[in-house]
Amino acid sequence: MTIHSLYIYDRHCTCVYYQDWHRTRRPKPAVEGGILPAVSQAVSPSPHLANSNASVYSGYGSPRNTLSSNTGVVVAVNDMLNQAPSTPLLQSPTSPNPVVLTSTGLAFDEEAKLVYGVILSLRNMIKKLSGRDEQFVNYRTSAYKLHLFETMSGYKFVMLTDPAAESLRFVLRQIYVGPFLEYVVRNPLVQMDSREHGIDNEYFRASIDRMVRGLSVFP
Amino acid sequence: MAIYGLWVINKAGGLVYQRNFADGLAQLTSNEYLVLAGTLHGIHAITSRLSPMGSSSGAQVIEGESFKMTILLTASGTKFVVLTSLAEASPDALLQKVYEIYSDAVMKNPFHTPEMPIRSEGFDTRITALIGSG
Repeated sequence: MTIHSLYIYDRHCTCVYYQDWHRTRRPKPAVEGGILPAVSQAVSPSPHLANSNASVYSGYGSPRNTLSSNTGVVVAVNDMLNQAPSTPLLQSPTSPNPVVLTSTGLAFDEEAKLVYGVILSLRNMIKKLSGRDEQFVNYRTSAYKLHLFETMSGYKFVMLTDPAAESLRFVLRQIYVGPFLEYVVRNPLVQMDSREHGIDNEYFRASIDRMVRGLSVFP
Repeated sequence: MAIYGLWVINKAGGLVYQRNFADGLAQLTSNEYLVLAGTLHGIHAITSRLSPMGSSSGAQVIEGESFKMTILLTASGTKFVVLTSLAEASPDALLQKVYEIYSDAVMKNPFHTPEMPIRSEGFDTRITALIGSG
C-alpha cells in the first residue's frame, strides 16, 4: 500500500498544488505558461539558464513570499526534474534503492487537465445516475486508485494511491482541516482564488508530507 | 445488496443494451443513458493513461456514496457495466456470467448484427434468470 500523488484544484478548474511520493512514472515538466507559479517545484517549467535573478524563480514563485527570503534559506533554482529539495523543511529521507523513473509522455499541465476532466465527468455521471446530490468518491484501475474530496468552497483534493487502499476521503479531509486551513487559508501571503498563483509554500508542503508519511497506508 | 442495472457498451462507445433491475437510482431516458455510456467510454480510455506506476487498465470500479459501477472490458472491446449497491460482494463474478450469456445468446445468434443494439429474447430471459426480473 502506498500513496502516489496529491492534486488540489480550485473552483476555477486550475491545479493550485501538486505533490508526489513513490511515483515511477513522472509527467514531463509543464510547458511555459501551462501551470500557475507556486504549484510544485518538481513539475514547473525549467527557468532559463542565463537568468541571474534566482529569487524570481525561487521555490514558491510568489514575489510576495517572504517566508524563504527572510529566513536566509537559499532556495535553489529549479533546474533539474529530480533535484532534491534544498530547503531544510523539505528534506525527505532518501530511499536506499533509487527507482528508475519513466515518463508518462504527458506534460504535467496536460496530465492535470486530464485528471480534472475525469473527476468532473465522473462527478456529473454519479449525480445524474443517483438522481440525488450524491458525490463521486473514488475509482480503481488495475494500477491505481483515485480518491476525491470536494469542499463547500469548490476546492477539490485528489489523491492517487495503490489500488488496494481503503477509501482515503478522511485523509483528504484531514489535509483540508489541518495543513490547508493552517498554512493556506490562514496564511496572509497566499493569494487564494487569484488564478495567478498556486498555494504552494514550504510549511504547507512539509506539513502534508509529515501527515502522509505518518499514515498507516504509507509504507 | 441490490443490483440496479446492467449496460453493455460496444467498442465504439455506443450503448447496445440497458436494463434496470432494482429501484434506487434515478430513472433516466434512453437518450440520457446513451450519453452516459459514451462518457464512460471516454473516461475509461483516459483513466488508463493517468497511471502513476507502470501501465494500467481503465477504470474497473467507480464508487459513489451509495452505489458503485463495476466495469468489465473484454478482449473484443465490449464493456459490461453493472450498477450495484456498495455492499454487493462479487459484481466481477456476475459480469463474467453475463459475458458468458452474451457469448451464447447474442454472439452465436445468426440474426444479430455485431455492434448493434441487442434485441434477443433469449438473452433477456437468461439475464432475468441470473439477476432477477427487477
